[in-house]
Amino acid sequence: MAASATFRASVSPSPPSSSSSSSSSQLTHLRSSPFKAFNFTPLPSSRSSKSSSFSVSCTIAKDPAVLMAPGSDPALWQRPDSFGRFGKFGGKYVPETLMHALSELESAFYALATDDDFQRELAGILKDYVGRESPLYFAERLTEHYRRENGEGPLIYLKREDLNHTGAHKINNAVAQALLAKRLGKKRIIAETGAGQHGVATATVCARFGLECIIYMGAQDMERQALNVFRMRLLGAEVRGVHSGTATLKDATSEAIRDWVTNVETTHYILGSVAGPHPYPMMVRDFHAVIGKETRRQALEKWGGKPDVLVACVGGGSNAMGLFHEFVNDKEVRMIGVEAAGFGLDSGKHAATLTKGDVGVLHGAMSYLLQDDDGQIIEPHSISAGLDYPGVGPEHSFFKDMGRAEYYSITDEEALEAFKRVSRLEGIIPALETSHALAYLEKLCPTLADGTRVVLNFSGRGDKDVQTVAKYLEV
Amino acid sequence: MSSTKIQVRGQLLPRIPARNHRMIYSVVCGVSTKRHHRESSLLSRETCPSSDSVPTKTDKSQFLCGDVDGKFGRFGGKFVPETLISSLKDLEDEFNCLLSDQEFQEELTTALRDYVGRETPLYFAGRLTEHYKNIGRTIGVGPEIYLKREDLSHCGSHKINNALAQAMIARRLGCSHVVAATGAGQHGVATAAACAKLSLECTVYMGATDMEKQFFNVLSMKQLGAQVKSVKGTFKDASSEAIRHWVENLDSTYFLLGTVVGPHPCPIMVREFQSVIGKETRRQAHQLWGGKPDVLVACVGSGANALGLFHEFVGDEDVRLVGVEAAGLGLDSGKHSATLAVGHVGVYHGSMSYLLQDDQGQILKPHSVGVGLEYPGVGPEISFLKQTGRAEFYTATDQEAIQACMRLSRLEGIIPALETSHALAFLDKLIPTLRDGAKVIVNCSGRGDKDLDTLIQRGISFPNC
Repeated sequence: MAASATFRASVSPSPPSSSSSSSSSQLTHLRSSPFKAFNFTPLPSSRSSKSSSFSVSCTIAKDPAVLMAPGSDPALWQRPDSFGRFGKFGGKYVPETLMHALSELESAFYALATDDDFQRELAGILKDYVGRESPLYFAERLTEHYRRENGEGPLIYLKREDLNHTGAHKINNAVAQALLAKRLGKKRIIAETGAGQHGVATATVCARFGLECIIYMGAQDMERQALNVFRMRLLGAEVRGVHSGTATLKDATSEAIRDWVTNVETTHYILGSVAGPHPYPMMVRDFHAVIGKETRRQALEKWGGKPDVLVACVGGGSNAMGLFHEFVNDKEVRMIGVEAAGFGLDSGKHAATLTKGDVGVLHGAMSYLLQDDDGQIIEPHSISAGLDYPGVGPEHSFFKDMGRAEYYSITDEEALEAFKRVSRLEGIIPALETSHALAYLEKLCPTLADGTRVVLNFSGRGDKDVQTVAKYLEV
Repeated sequence: MSSTKIQVRGQLLPRIPARNHRMIYSVVCGVSTKRHHRESSLLSRETCPSSDSVPTKTDKSQFLCGDVDGKFGRFGGKFVPETLISSLKDLEDEFNCLLSDQEFQEELTTALRDYVGRETPLYFAGRLTEHYKNIGRTIGVGPEIYLKREDLSHCGSHKINNALAQAMIARRLGCSHVVAATGAGQHGVATAAACAKLSLECTVYMGATDMEKQFFNVLSMKQLGAQVKSVKGTFKDASSEAIRHWVENLDSTYFLLGTVVGPHPCPIMVREFQSVIGKETRRQAHQLWGGKPDVLVACVGSGANALGLFHEFVGDEDVRLVGVEAAGLGLDSGKHSATLAVGHVGVYHGSMSYLLQDDQGQILKPHSVGVGLEYPGVGPEISFLKQTGRAEFYTATDQEAIQACMRLSRLEGIIPALETSHALAFLDKLIPTLRDGAKVIVNCSGRGDKDLDTLIQRGISFPNC
């Protein structure tokens, strides 16, 4: 099938020589693009970043690679450019039928970004319905746990996305996209879901806004997550089982995309993470960016400064982007993403895309992904369903290549240890996904100077995982 | 301390006519019988002491004057064995101290904000409001329904407000161990969480039947580091065991009561810690529409979440207070928890209040699909609000509650706890009687994730599968 071929093809990164051909096609696009005629880029006249006067010139960027080399100033990066690229990552690798819908979405998104009514309505819903702002909580016992013998150690703060309605960060994006869909006059919402968390968040907002909701879920996942299936139905959504392929998330995603292609005029596709074709990575990031914005304000209130290190788990990458985005231009703020190493990086059963993956195209975007030598997607594994994704958001791939963020991985076992540890030390049961970020603290904290302020994105609560963990730990 | 022996029932005393009550607040034998006297028969015919339990020292004056020593009219009091009196006094003194202790209040406020996630939103339920307008075919604006989102609190219900504050008290008192009893498990989970945060050991007693029904909460408590002990029966039996545990370890252990029952100062303490709900509501109502709510609605098991919302407004005569109890399978079925509707006054768990008892004064086994409402008694302050007519109390059946749960899920994307659903169910009867623009605030006391298994077992079906 043409559609699936596009999504599953692995394309090797094009060598620099072919970039000139791509840039000429860029020029063509720029001329016909409705919203951007030129790329406006200030060119610094000297190396000194402290220099207040530098010549500003208006130029059509021929080669983004010049400005976006590792070590360059993040403030100069286009995230994304008008093609939806982050460096070479991202883009819009989709069938022709979806191009219009994506452009429409993009225009709507830009228009609403400056629409006061929309922003006010969204802010109101985030406050009264979702329960924002989420606290920045000083984890006293966790901090004590990492205190060294000489009394020194970092200070651990948890950004409490677990307190949001539905128990995770996912709702920030779902709510905003549902509101956007309403504005577009779409009455039908579709989404794909793995374990059901994104499905539940989508069904939730559809109930709230009175929209028709169809969730695609792999038949295998439906069996494993009967409770979430029930929950989605209770919320008024239709859950459609997908039996093709391995009957899991990636197959559900393909089915959802197929539905969208067929029903594009009436239907909006709520993508759950910063993956997928442009404008999704940008949109989903911007809808989650409230996390980072609040964190900046709260950090200023609490200690009159910025965080030193940001830590977040990375599956598709949305919660991490939501926290990181605000601080990307603050070069002194370290950003750490933690992926799932499953049974171990050498076992072949993991989801450590950025560590072990290769660049290719999946679900409409160029990014790192787990693929074999034939370019077939490798079935990932993680004890946490939310990290069980063979790809990763293109912006994360970009940050990795640019060295702006560091990416590590944590095994199932380490995550389970962290799950137990944080439950007992702070009385907050973390989601297994979040537990990966928490587990990394074990390796990180001994290396941090005294008083380093670490903000960890507590992306979700672990109620949904209590039974899984009990099985593993024989509690 | 080690010389005390604990028994459930004490020595038989000469039978007194009319009803008897069994005092669960266990008996300590070895205490001089001289110091025991029965309650005065000057009391109305509704109040009678028990004959097959050892009564505790009471003072006639308690019943004649109000608001002294924890009395709400004739309700409340301190019906406990002598050994517990001094512990309760310590608690009362500590509590009074804390009310004006700046440091404690600041620590509590910070914890409520950063740990629990307060303040909880006052959310305008647009689609629910619309639903009632459509039913009533109202042309005007109809009553407006707001939900006070206690379901968004850490652990998923209002229970943490109280558990956290009391755990802080336990630490202050130098206790290393906390013991609690839980019905549905929400109080158990909240207590376990607070204890983990404050590095206190935690033991939770739970009825075996409840443990099966709320299996998920049991796992959560264990995960949070608490020891969960199974007791044959339900919440009332678990309570007795927990109290027994406490009495045996008075030096090191703090008994963390989850609701507004028990001997003085417990009802007042728990109410005080829950009253943050009402305080926020007043401020938020003022912000949203520049006024006060017209009607407050809350489910009533023992009454903690209801008092938490109501207390702030008790002095505002123009604010209606509506409590909704569990009618279970129907008030005539004998399988319900509608204490205020069909109960009678007596002493239970150390205080005088309404309770469900048979002609012999035996406590009736309550039932509700909302396990947290399954309590045969009710807080003394609630009884007082009923008697003075300040608050109105109604009931909702299991079926009505389940329907209300499904309705809110479908219309607002909020799955309420089955307990909360009782309050929501009553809106069916309430809304048609209200004027246009009347502001109704329902205390959304908890989220319903814990009840999904119950709903699944009930075999409810959906129109679009």
